[in-house]
Amino acid sequence: MSQSNQALVGSPTVSVHFDHSHRLYEPQARLTVRYSIDGIADDERVRAVELSVLWYTEGKGEEDLGVHFFERMTDRERLPPAVTVGSFVSSLPLSPLSYEGLIVKVRWCVRVRLFFTDGRDFVSEHVFELGEIPPAQTKPDGPAIVSV
Amino acid sequence: MKTFTHTPQTSSVLPETAPRAFGKIPVNPFSTRLTRPGQIASLNCGGHFLNPNDLIDRLQFLGGTAVIQGPHGSGKTTLLMHLSHELASRGDLVACVRLRSSRDALVVFRSIIRSRPGTTLCLDSWEQAGFMLRKIIWLAVTVRRCGLLVTCHRPTTMPVLMQCQTSPLLLKRIVEQLPNHEQRRSSLIHEADIQDAFLKCGGNIRESLYDLYDRFEQRVRLHPHTRT
Repeated sequence: MSQSNQALVGSPTVSVHFDHSHRLYEPQARLTVRYSIDGIADDERVRAVELSVLWYTEGKGEEDLGVHFFERMTDRERLPPAVTVGSFVSSLPLSPLSYEGLIVKVRWCVRVRLFFTDGRDFVSEHVFELGEIPPAQTKPDGPAIVSV
Repeated sequence: MKTFTHTPQTSSVLPETAPRAFGKIPVNPFSTRLTRPGQIASLNCGGHFLNPNDLIDRLQFLGGTAVIQGPHGSGKTTLLMHLSHELASRGDLVACVRLRSSRDALVVFRSIIRSRPGTTLCLDSWEQAGFMLRKIIWLAVTVRRCGLLVTCHRPTTMPVLMQCQTSPLLLKRIVEQLPNHEQRRSSLIHEADIQDAFLKCGGNIRESLYDLYDRFEQRVRLHPHTRT
């Protein structure tokens, strides 16, 4: 179970459950995600929920991003508070594989984004891994090397 | 002195890394996605939050046209984005364009043509537009009765809304705002690192954050006990 690990004051809590242990997936594997949304204040109204599976690069400088799965729900009967749990399935691609580099990293995540009627939005990201590339290692005073 | 907190339109939580056989490598809090303009609050060189209401009042006093001036990595873009969000949250019309070269002129003119009177056009990197292009933009904005808020490294003929400056204290305050600050201070990034990065990068906050990014990456890999 992955949960919003830094609850912001007055922010909802989004919990995501991945069907694979350790959130580790092989390329082309089937990803099944169950999510729940809690902690929405009585005076807050959700106008849309977006579910996505995406990869992004993280590091210094320019960033890149690719959306693999996307679903936007605006039907009030499918939104909190009427419905606070849900699930979706997506077949993962062959690449890019998750990678923990020094300068750049590739991360996959499930993103749940809530849009409120007052214009605010709340984003909760839950990282998982595609593939098993070991992280880059570094030597003291030496260049980065990749552990094998 | 009054203090103001940064309340971004989008709130989010720091994603936790997936568990791995070799231990989780924590998210580097100095990575661009957590430090880029819009993610961190605008502070002055004394490390205090800037009051956007005061700055917007001053912008209106200046006739809606002004420049945010300062050296590289001094927070001009961060402040421009902060003010544009603030203007938009007040219901004002705002158009934002980042100028990378004169070739972005088309985007600027498209924004001006689509703008209604009273719109504030926010242009990042004003000096990227050549002399003639700047004159034409100025004229077009005046004809459309729009405001113009730009960032620039060098002095211009426009009134100065804010002169951005940096200090080691400013960098320290920015680092304190980043996620998991307490955890990091105890193990990976120390106050001396912040001072050192600031000096090494000549007071450029953006470069200093890149430098701290590198230190974080080196240490988190060299000291496995920092992994969770």
